[in-house]
Amino acid sequence: MSETTLDQTPQSDAREGVASSDRRKFLRKSVALAATGAAAAAAGNAYGDVDLETVKEPLEDGPTRNILGRGVVSVPYGMPSKFEKDVVRRNVSWLTADTVASISFTPWQDLNGIITPNGLHFERHHAGAVDVDPETHQLVIHGMVDKPMIFSMDDLKRMPSHTAIHFLECPANGAMEWRGVQMDSMQFTHGMMSCSEWTGVKLTDLMEYVGVDPKSTWLYAEGTDGSALQRSIPMEGAKDQFGEPLPADSCEMYKDAMIAYAQNGEALRPENGYPIRFLLPGCEANMSIKWLRRIKFVDKPLVTYQETRHYIEPLPDGTIRQFTLVNEANSVINYPCPDYQMKGKGAYEIRGIAWSGRGKVAHVDVSVDGGKNWQEAELVEPVLSKCVTKFKLPFEWKGDEHLIMSRVTDETGYVQPTLMQLRKVRGFNSIYHKNSIQAWKIEKTGEVKNVQIENF
Amino acid sequence: MSKLKTSKFGLGLAAGAMALGLSTAGIAAEHASGFNGIGKNITDKAIEPWDISVFYDGTNLPKGSGSVADGEQPYQAQCAMCHGDFGEGAEGYPKMAGDPMPQFINSLKQGLDGVGNRGVNNAWGHAPTLFDMIKRHMPFYAPGTMGVDESYAVTCYVLNLGGIVDMDFTCSDETLADVEMPSAEYFVTDTRPDTNNQRCMSDCTDEEPEVVYSAVEGVSG
Repeated sequence: MSETTLDQTPQSDAREGVASSDRRKFLRKSVALAATGAAAAAAGNAYGDVDLETVKEPLEDGPTRNILGRGVVSVPYGMPSKFEKDVVRRNVSWLTADTVASISFTPWQDLNGIITPNGLHFERHHAGAVDVDPETHQLVIHGMVDKPMIFSMDDLKRMPSHTAIHFLECPANGAMEWRGVQMDSMQFTHGMMSCSEWTGVKLTDLMEYVGVDPKSTWLYAEGTDGSALQRSIPMEGAKDQFGEPLPADSCEMYKDAMIAYAQNGEALRPENGYPIRFLLPGCEANMSIKWLRRIKFVDKPLVTYQETRHYIEPLPDGTIRQFTLVNEANSVINYPCPDYQMKGKGAYEIRGIAWSGRGKVAHVDVSVDGGKNWQEAELVEPVLSKCVTKFKLPFEWKGDEHLIMSRVTDETGYVQPTLMQLRKVRGFNSIYHKNSIQAWKIEKTGEVKNVQIENF
Repeated sequence: MSKLKTSKFGLGLAAGAMALGLSTAGIAAEHASGFNGIGKNITDKAIEPWDISVFYDGTNLPKGSGSVADGEQPYQAQCAMCHGDFGEGAEGYPKMAGDPMPQFINSLKQGLDGVGNRGVNNAWGHAPTLFDMIKRHMPFYAPGTMGVDESYAVTCYVLNLGGIVDMDFTCSDETLADVEMPSAEYFVTDTRPDTNNQRCMSDCTDEEPEVVYSAVEGVSG
């Protein structure tokens, strides 16, 4: 990634063996240049201008060196190290009246891959998580079909399986930041999103089996929890209750849908819909109905509570926007972020995550000067559709203030907006689909703060 | 693996299959259908108890009725502790009656807070789905336990709290679809993308960023 260096000269000289004092002068000069010029993201140079401490005390064995550890299956279902006890889901107590109709957040600040461990997947319940017995649970598929059918969990596992890695994101992700800066942890600004490998039966395969009428333009899915949550899902030709067409991309989303029974290789967790959930990649996660019991093929939307009162966007033009189903591209830097203090000057790797409900991530650009200049980050494989993609970029921190931010472009060419661009069209009354560029401020003290940039 | 071993293994398998009366044709057949023999057919009558969803236009409303007056007692007993005696909400639970529609729209246009002021009178497009929500999901602590007539009555009471139906109105499978909801005409289906950011790489702005910090510390958690 040395091409990310603004000024290659000091590096080339270093490689040619410039005396260290000379190299320091060179680097100081380049710091000054960077300060007066543009960004300060710098190369992953093996050499540096930071004086390192020297360890002189002989090393001693640690407390684990002369004891016996635990035997196998002493923890039959393995748990993280006790030193990782703070890596947990969290909720925000004032956000909802009750934890059974509430949300918890994934601690992305502590995660290093694209997969969310199952115990850390965000939770959103409307009437609490329930324990559904797979021996008695059944799935009904009916409506505009040739054969109304009912399936046991064993039936579903006999069918051709489908496996894919997809994120699920609550449309309220980031909602608490619409009107201003509030949260001092990345967990709370972006943690209503998680990413898993899912296995189940493809909806389109089931549709073929039961013989869905081509005239069916909508389906809806319903759960067996106390809320019996239900959402309308558009297909080709879908029209709203006024006869207006749904956006074309929304009507294609069902093609990636599945009836999922496994998450990261094991059975779904109860809080994520055990034994089966609907999974609608790319769309607001509320549509991925948990504890799924019924799918009905129809030719109009229900316009449920969720679709007319809850997941709507009252806009400054005096309209109320409905059926905003697709999660547009979003990204955030999770290292560094407000959950960390910078640990001294020198090399860091800026790392983050990007995702789009419309397909693959195409580019992620990073700015360390508040959005004046940007550099393209490296995307870490795999880069998959409707899936979290990790990005990284070397960064040399010289103790200065920085406004760091990431900006994703997805394969449709859509570029993640700024907060001001979002507020301009959606005002201050929105809650949902806040996918704007997130700025963190690195202070001279090394503190990292959640901030918003008010003018662009 | 040597050819000899392969053929021995193959012979053994074939012999075993013959002995058990198995057919290798099954593999191809399963691949062709993928679903052959899986699941059960079910009659509409058998599905009926689960087929409870009501459409915005009143399709699938169950037979029954309840008046505003009928709804007062169950609402006060089962709903008011969360949603307020007058639908004003309580303890973080949703309002039933929010700002009247003109005021709500005015708030939106002025950028004032309208989020907390949502109610059935300003952000609920169709009365039949209010019945559906109450019947399936309420009361909160014992979801889905209200009867059909009771659900019509509570729906009616809530509509009255929102100033949508008169005191003497009766909600039923025949009247609910015709109730005029104040916000119905304001709904517009998704018009995104509604932003058009550009992938600028250098000198993207001359302005210094105006940085806003958290007004209050320790809000999280």
